[in-house]
Amino acid sequence: MTTEAAPRLLEDTPLPPKAGGLYRRQNMWVGLVAGIVLAFIGWLISHALLQGSNWGTDMVVTVTMTCWVIGFNAGVGTFNGPFRWLTNDDQTAEDELYAAGVGQGAKRYFKFCTDHKVVGTQYLVLVMVLFAVGGTLAMMIRTQLITPHSSFMTPQLYNTVVTVHGICMIVATIIMVTGPFTNFIMPIMIGAKDMAFPRLNAASFWVVFSAVPCLLAVFFLGGVNAGWTTYAPLSVQDPPAMDTFALTILVFAASVTLAGVNIIVTIVTMRAEGMTMFRLPIFTWGSMLGSALGLYAMPAFIMAMVLMITDRATGTSFYVAAQGGTGWLWENIFWIMGHPEVYVILIPPVAAMLEVVVTFSRKPLFGYVIVIAALVAIDALSILVWAHHMFTTGWAPDLSGPFMLTTELISIPTGLIFLCVIGTLWKGRIWARLPMFFVYLFLWNFIIGGVTGIYLSDVPADGLFHNDMFVTAHFHYTLMGGAMIAATAALCYWFPKMTGKMLNERIGKIAFWIIAISFQVTYLGMFWEGFEGMPRRVAYYDPTFLHANQMATVGAYALIIGWLVLLYDVIHSWRNGTPAPANPWGAKTLEWKVPTPVPLENFLVEPVVTSDPYTYGEPEKEAPEPAAKPAHEPELIPGGGGT
Amino acid sequence: MTLTAEHGHEEAAGGEPPHGHHQSPAQRHRKEHLALWLFIGGDIVFFALTIFTWFYTRALNTNGMWRGASCTTANPCTDGLGNPLTHEVPTANPWYGVVVAVLIVVAAVLAWSAERSSVQRAGRSSITGASGMALVAVLAAVVVQCIEFGALPFTTVVGTYASTYEFFMGSTLAHALVLSFLALGFLVRSRAGRYDDGQWYQLRLYRIFAVWIAVSVCVLTFVSSVFT
Amino acid sequence: MSSEATVETAQGDGAGGTGEAGAADIPKPFFSRPGGKIFIIWLILTAIGIVLAFVLPKHTFPTMLTKEGSTGVTTVIFFTIMAAPVAALVYGIAAYSLLAWRHRGHPDEPPEDGPPLRGNAPVTIVWLVVTSLLCIVLLVWGLAAMAADNQSPPGALRVDVTGQQWLWTFSYPGTGVSSRSLVLPLNRPVRFDVTSEDVTHGFWSMSLGVQVDANPDVVTTIYATPNKLGTFTVQCSQLCGLYHAFMYAPGSVVTPHQFALWLFGHGATLRAASLDAKVKMATGQGGSG
Repeated sequence: MTTEAAPRLLEDTPLPPKAGGLYRRQNMWVGLVAGIVLAFIGWLISHALLQGSNWGTDMVVTVTMTCWVIGFNAGVGTFNGPFRWLTNDDQTAEDELYAAGVGQGAKRYFKFCTDHKVVGTQYLVLVMVLFAVGGTLAMMIRTQLITPHSSFMTPQLYNTVVTVHGICMIVATIIMVTGPFTNFIMPIMIGAKDMAFPRLNAASFWVVFSAVPCLLAVFFLGGVNAGWTTYAPLSVQDPPAMDTFALTILVFAASVTLAGVNIIVTIVTMRAEGMTMFRLPIFTWGSMLGSALGLYAMPAFIMAMVLMITDRATGTSFYVAAQGGTGWLWENIFWIMGHPEVYVILIPPVAAMLEVVVTFSRKPLFGYVIVIAALVAIDALSILVWAHHMFTTGWAPDLSGPFMLTTELISIPTGLIFLCVIGTLWKGRIWARLPMFFVYLFLWNFIIGGVTGIYLSDVPADGLFHNDMFVTAHFHYTLMGGAMIAATAALCYWFPKMTGKMLNERIGKIAFWIIAISFQVTYLGMFWEGFEGMPRRVAYYDPTFLHANQMATVGAYALIIGWLVLLYDVIHSWRNGTPAPANPWGAKTLEWKVPTPVPLENFLVEPVVTSDPYTYGEPEKEAPEPAAKPAHEPELIPGGGGT
Repeated sequence: MTLTAEHGHEEAAGGEPPHGHHQSPAQRHRKEHLALWLFIGGDIVFFALTIFTWFYTRALNTNGMWRGASCTTANPCTDGLGNPLTHEVPTANPWYGVVVAVLIVVAAVLAWSAERSSVQRAGRSSITGASGMALVAVLAAVVVQCIEFGALPFTTVVGTYASTYEFFMGSTLAHALVLSFLALGFLVRSRAGRYDDGQWYQLRLYRIFAVWIAVSVCVLTFVSSVFT
Repeated sequence: MSSEATVETAQGDGAGGTGEAGAADIPKPFFSRPGGKIFIIWLILTAIGIVLAFVLPKHTFPTMLTKEGSTGVTTVIFFTIMAAPVAALVYGIAAYSLLAWRHRGHPDEPPEDGPPLRGNAPVTIVWLVVTSLLCIVLLVWGLAAMAADNQSPPGALRVDVTGQQWLWTFSYPGTGVSSRSLVLPLNRPVRFDVTSEDVTHGFWSMSLGVQVDANPDVVTTIYATPNKLGTFTVQCSQLCGLYHAFMYAPGSVVTPHQFALWLFGHGATLRAASLDAKVKMATGQGGSG
């Protein structure tokens, strides 16, 4: 076998001028134009055909926004792969290299690019934009609530802002770790060159991207009055904005499903040699188990919204009692999705945070198998608890006891995960860098969030607090104070690998302290509101709740400043930060063994793994070393060949 | 288009193996097989909720409007448009559903036949023939389902039985359309000889998916015909 | 395959001295060891938690006017007391880790490795057992409270609650009284039958300790027994459209005499013939009808 002087990087492969085919002409801007054009055509045709018919407006909105989604995705290139399969015109090697971004420089970030690192970066930016939108809406809510009878927003606008804030944050938190970090880091972590289905990966990003205008259209189509949980039958009577809301969910759920399948298949089938399932870093397990739960939950979301659209646009009566339907059908299907969904949100960040705890305590993960067992138990139990959101609905009083049981049981595996965190800290060498700051904040916040959840799992106490600000405070403590803070730890941790720059820690620590303290002020204030008996989702409130609301609003303003300081830090460091070495943290997982910036195919030499990455303090077994094995398998290529 | 093996683009680019094609067909199949079962798992959840919707709304029978059993000329109910409903909603003709289910089962059997022909290297014509007939069967199912929409003795606005029944039909139609896309692709690809030399992998995936659709459609037809 | 071998065998939440190699023969005094110091932090934090458990509800909750409401508050206090030691343990170990085990060298360089503690079976088992026991205790408490709340004694006063966008109507079957405010007599069990005219609303009063949704075309039921005089507010707890925030109604718990007066003042028409029967229907007490 001939050897060249140095392995040629795949990204330097010169491509023939026609490589990529249609992809050469497709990008985000083409998608925008195609989407708008197709949406206009769809609107014209449906408006002409359906004008004046029953539910015509709902049908027109649904058709128009569907055309937008299809048009955008056609323009950006999502459908190229399936159609080339259909016509027996499979993509060649050069096509695939082009699709991976070879030769396109920074433009590949605005195209359908199959390189998982590009997709991860695209997701990171999208997540930040979603949090910016959701955060702005949150500030509008808190501004309204600074006095009991504010005229800052009309009730219609307030309800719509509450709704869009909710769904924006739900979407953002579902993808905040799985999008950027599972995509960018996980394949490298398992020793793979890319995800199992690189085109599906790019597709899942652009599909969710195309859902964002559908969501924003809510503000222009009359608004939604029903909260992000859009309970029927109220939502059945909402303006046409509800149709585009439903479509947003359908498109988003499709994206999450595609991504979830990709993640699980990658982890199960693409691990490097020697990387057995029980040598996998815990973040990989968390990504897989979170995605598996998402595959269970998303079909329920799709079902609920399809029935909603048919109720609104074709006159079915799934949710309308006068014609035999019931709001309880909506609530059951929704919460069958809604409870597992919070664990879809929580598990990947917690697993990412565990990697941070390990690296910054310089100790193995305490109870690695216990954590996996606990995550599996959480997955399984979370499927059985949904009706704890419905204790007060009156749908099945006899089932309250069993659901209380299953809900309280979830505290046991959750507690075991806490044990493993503090066991990892125990007698460690705690390195107080910025990622670790967020870990400690998570510990503080999630205890409060988790314990208050246990109150809600008790049926009599839930009778006091259901739909009260106590619930709002509880889930902000768990979802923002827990999941989002853990995701921030992950961002600070993997920032050097993803961007090639070190995150400025001085600014980061200022942001941290503002966030940490103002978060408590905001949401302890909200617990106070809840104890006093203030309902949630109200634009006006009784003056007895004034001081608690003032506390929460003041805290919220400080909190947004903290996040903005962190955002400034991210952007500033990304552009002007100190260049990062390949392994600034001295960590042992595989992503730190590859150079920064990471080559196109991640590994120049395919690694052979000999142990798990938690060998801190164990002098004999070194971390996985790349073996002297060529990256390509000559025997699989007829006729030999290769370097 | 040159005839290449499923993974073979090795001759191109100076011997450099292609991006994303480092795996053998067997390894690719393993990935696609797992992906398919994960999709089917999600579809099973959707299917279970569809069945749940039928039985739950039927059991609750809110306002007696599952089929409006108490609606009479003397005491009419109101439909969803405000018109009087003077009799119980008639049940749909179950034979349409049976025909659709049979056609999809036939398509699944033909998919299995195509797979078997490929495994046994039985020649292009048997593979293409089976794929083509599978496409015809699925398209026929789509057509029959559309005809049934027109032939229904009710519309969506008369109670929950009508709504759920039409939802079952819509779900079947959507799955059949997906199957027809795949069937067309397999026809085109098998005619070009992709599956002649024992590369049965994707045909197996198609067979598994078609069998799942056939099973689910049979169950939906059974439920909607028996538990009216 | 990596090993799960435990390098030290600690018991409970105090640890033996693996790091202190030289003094291995004589165990250090408890309060010099990490476990001992954490124990002290834990005690202090638990005490704070227990104090908060009593103080916070007292100063924030509205006055509870029913047995069910009081059960809810007692539950909150009890659960907080149960949670305090768990929270204190996590917070204590986290705080101690920053005090005792923090790397104090150059911040830019990774510290040396710590001891390879991959797990500890006894600690894990104790943790699992204790958390499971806590869970069972909370569960039993909750089931007992549920059973007590769901009793439907005979002779309960019936109130039909109807929600609609965006107001509440309370009617008292058998009396012909219908009102926009909810008035209840002291010490008499009440059964609320709740429904809605349009969309799903939430019939909720924290002081009464009741919450159940009002669903269109079905009736849901909830019970309460007021045991204290006072006023309260019924609020809609389920977002129901534009003026959801305005959907509240005043309420009060009054003496049986005042309740009877209120009923008659609202045009109560009692079908029973005798005065005794009227008194009984109004107050639930006395009479022979």
